[in-house]
Amino acid sequence: MSGLEVSAVAKHFGGVYAVRDVSLSVADGELRGIIGPNGAGKSTLFNVISGHLAADEGAISLDGRRIERLPPHQRAGLGVSIVFQAARIFRGMTVGENVMVGAHRTTSAGFTAAALRLPAHRRDERRIAAAAHAALEMTGLSEFADRDAGTLPHGLQRSMQLARALCAEPSLLLLDEPASGLRAAEREDLIELLRKLRDTGLTIMLVEHDVALVGRLADRITVLDLGAVIAEGTPGQIRDHPQVIAAYLGAAP
Amino acid sequence: MSRVTRRIALGIGAAVTLALPLVLDSGQLSIYILLGLTAIVTVGLSMLMGYAGQVSLGQAAFYGIGAYTAGLLALHGWPPLIGLVAAPLAAALAALVLGVPLLRLRGHHLAFATLAMQLILLSIADNQAWMGGSIGLQGIPQLSLGSLEFDTDMSYAYVTWIALAGVVLTARNVIQSRPGRALRALATSEVAAESAGIPVGRYKLTVFALSAGFAGLAGGIYAFYLGYVSPGSFPILLSVGYVVMVVVGGLGTIWGALAGTAAVTLLVQLLNQLGTRDGVPGWLPSVLSYAVYAVLLIAVVLYLPRGIVPALVSLRRRADS
Ligand SMILES: Nc1ncnc2c1ncn2[C@@H]1O[C@H](COP(=O)(O)OP(=O)(O)OP(=O)(O)O)[C@@H](O)[C@H]1O
Ligand SMILES: [Mg+2]
Repeated sequence: MSGLEVSAVAKHFGGVYAVRDVSLSVADGELRGIIGPNGAGKSTLFNVISGHLAADEGAISLDGRRIERLPPHQRAGLGVSIVFQAARIFRGMTVGENVMVGAHRTTSAGFTAAALRLPAHRRDERRIAAAAHAALEMTGLSEFADRDAGTLPHGLQRSMQLARALCAEPSLLLLDEPASGLRAAEREDLIELLRKLRDTGLTIMLVEHDVALVGRLADRITVLDLGAVIAEGTPGQIRDHPQVIAAYLGAAP
Repeated sequence: MSRVTRRIALGIGAAVTLALPLVLDSGQLSIYILLGLTAIVTVGLSMLMGYAGQVSLGQAAFYGIGAYTAGLLALHGWPPLIGLVAAPLAAALAALVLGVPLLRLRGHHLAFATLAMQLILLSIADNQAWMGGSIGLQGIPQLSLGSLEFDTDMSYAYVTWIALAGVVLTARNVIQSRPGRALRALATSEVAAESAGIPVGRYKLTVFALSAGFAGLAGGIYAFYLGYVSPGSFPILLSVGYVVMVVVGGLGTIWGALAGTAAVTLLVQLLNQLGTRDGVPGWLPSVLSYAVYAVLLIAVVLYLPRGIVPALVSLRRRADS
């Protein structure tokens, strides 16, 4: 069983059910759009998949392996990469270094190898540099590699987080509103990049408020409302779904 | 600074510090050794604070654990070399055990908890007969390596130099590497670090143990050099001093830790010499130390918030461009 399988997952904060009984399966290589109004539970679902929040109920498996009890760094180790909705950058490090951190999971040199400059350290440094170079290139950030990450404008900070996630060579990429705060040209670049990534066979889950944008990219779309799945289908099916129009599109400006 | 000028500066620094013991008088030589031992501790603390973002106000406790370990082993007839190797290992092991609960805390909470840890360890040492109680350990034999006896201050000066060089090299190598970037990353966002696959808890524990190991190594040399250790050798004032040195020199640079240590140690020594003249009350030197720490800390926070070395570096950059 390859791909991501979420079964009957629930997560509540105090009395509020942010996610209630969500089941979905994302096939290997699929680009899945997740849409829903503010507070629908999209980010919470992502955090439960990446392990930053523990699910109260339910099971999650990745390529047939149960992961719902693993801490986030182990899920990252299995190939889950997340770009958070809020900017989370490593201040005091350059853009290049921020991206290099992404390659942590694909390398293994530890303190001893680094302190003694063992061959494992040299091999990993070469590998990390190459992966970061490729990720910076893909996201158009090469010219900013030596800039202090904290001094980047907001849009580029978002691209940098995407570069960091790509540097990890993920098998499942979770993108929480990657297009928010981007200018029109940057947005088109992002769409182009996501197309390219999808064509490489990477499994992607994309949360996005811009329904038209999701419709252009997604193989299938899942609609969340009040923490539950209210519809799922191809972009065409979702556009015509009466419940979706009522609960979500109808309410949108 | 280009690679070449950096190499040259490094070479000059090494040559000067290696030549110094040959020209210093015995009083100055003991300050040289003390300065070197302190720098071994602060380079480790700089990794912990300046890179990994974790505070320790109990670093002198690990210095003490190293000193007691070396002293006790030597007094029980073990070869001094075993004691010198065991000192950093014992301190690192203690940090691994104590770090599990301590490192769940952050910021001020971690600072106070490490301070409390040191107070507890001091009171244990004060009350344990096998550790010599408040009198401590006396008559610790000299360091020796086979037939090579380290019985002069000069020889301890070079032992200290070699240990410090090893510590600086280790710290530099670790920082410029995969685990080093992971430490710097978790200092600003543990959540993002975890999402990159970094086991944050384990990395914090490792750097805590590494910094404790450095302090333990310095403590081991100190025990052989002085020949006695007691709880009074490792006051809270010492831990406070280490933090001040690291902050004054500049967080996030190893050279800052060295510069801060030199500046603060020499200033305190100078005031001590003024303070220990005839007719001056005995409590004055330690009060002066606190005053120096406070004044330096306030001055740096107000005028050079990033510390001496980063300020100099950006001054140079501006002059270059
Ligand atoms: N840490 C938290 N503590 C308490 N309540 C939370 C927490 N995180 C989310 N919630 C609540 O859970 C619900 C779902 O939030 P979530 O952020 O998952 O929605 P979302 O679909 O991502 O919304 P948006 O489109 O605004 O990003 C909301 O009611 C929110 O207030
Ligand atoms: Mg959200």
